Amino acid sequence: MALSATGVTDTGTKRATNQDAIACRVSDDGEAALAIVADGMGGYEGGGIASQLAVDALLEVLEPALVNSALDAVSVEELIQQAIDRASDSIARAQNRDSSLSKMGTTVVLAWVLGHRVHVAHLGDSRCYRVPGSGPVELKTRDDTVVQNMVDDGSITAAEAPRVPFRNVLTRALGSSSDVTASFGYFELAPGDCLLLCSDGLTDAVPDSEWRDLLNDSPGSLEARARNLLEQSLDNQAADNVSIVLVQG
Amino acid sequence: MAALSQLVDNVVVHTFELTGPQTRVGRHPDNDICIDELSVSSRHALIEAVVNSYLNDTVDYYINDRDSTNGTFINDVRIQDRQRLNSHDLVRIGWNLFRFVDEDESSLEKTAYILEE
Repeated sequence: MALSATGVTDTGTKRATNQDAIACRVSDDGEAALAIVADGMGGYEGGGIASQLAVDALLEVLEPALVNSALDAVSVEELIQQAIDRASDSIARAQNRDSSLSKMGTTVVLAWVLGHRVHVAHLGDSRCYRVPGSGPVELKTRDDTVVQNMVDDGSITAAEAPRVPFRNVLTRALGSSSDVTASFGYFELAPGDCLLLCSDGLTDAVPDSEWRDLLNDSPGSLEARARNLLEQSLDNQAADNVSIVLVQG
Repeated sequence: MAALSQLVDNVVVHTFELTGPQTRVGRHPDNDICIDELSVSSRHALIEAVVNSYLNDTVDYYINDRDSTNGTFINDVRIQDRQRLNSHDLVRIGWNLFRFVDEDESSLEKTAYILEE
């Protein structure tokens, strides 16, 4: 199947700047795709610098490899980790050059798609979902957050998580963590499925139970579908930056 | 410091500071917070203060209903299991209304940040 990809990002309705950065690429033969969302944070404009440095470094390593559909699963994960290491180094160098950027950091979630096979890597709370043609969306990443740890150890339920005051505290991110070994996942897309990467601006503004209908309500291009979901988040007064990247087979 | 403030007609009539690791709430005099009112069971609810395993200097407060007759409610929803209290939650013990306030909670940053290693 020939893959297509698109991405949209917006400041949202409350923030002064957009500190998210996104990228999506599809190989010339349509067999491979790369999708990235990074959500920057920390310091005046530092977050936007961190997320863009991360996306640039990831593209630098991964984009040339998009043409190589012969990579096995182990090689894909090694390559992605190399790219994440380079992104981390790039942010660290910028922090060393300018002390005002010392607190900057960024989440990152990226998907490497080969045909129907999807490798996902992430640090932080930006997420990857499989959006099936029918049925509920499936979350494919586990947030690196204090709140997720508390859900997992039974301290709170998932339903309580959105009300916890420190729900925005990350346990891992580029720019802060010395260990930037990504969490990896693998799954396969069925015909009619869509892959969605997003920053938490989307998950906070629109319940994921509504996404599939919002994506499918817009019969136009993939970009029009992504924009439909984005518009809903803005209608819902998205308090944070909102980023969405879609990949469809 | 966290506290439960009892409200009558939206006015605070009494404030109970939650000082120990456990605070027992009920009608019997041996409770830490004794509410002598018929809708309150003798041993009605238990509030636990638990140091957060992942965030230094953060204490979480959890409330449990102790099989009371008339229930324990948070923001008008009857609790079934142990539930975390968030600052400004309305807690109802039988027909008695309280506001939970945790002053330390308001000092937490509102924007995303990364846990220091």
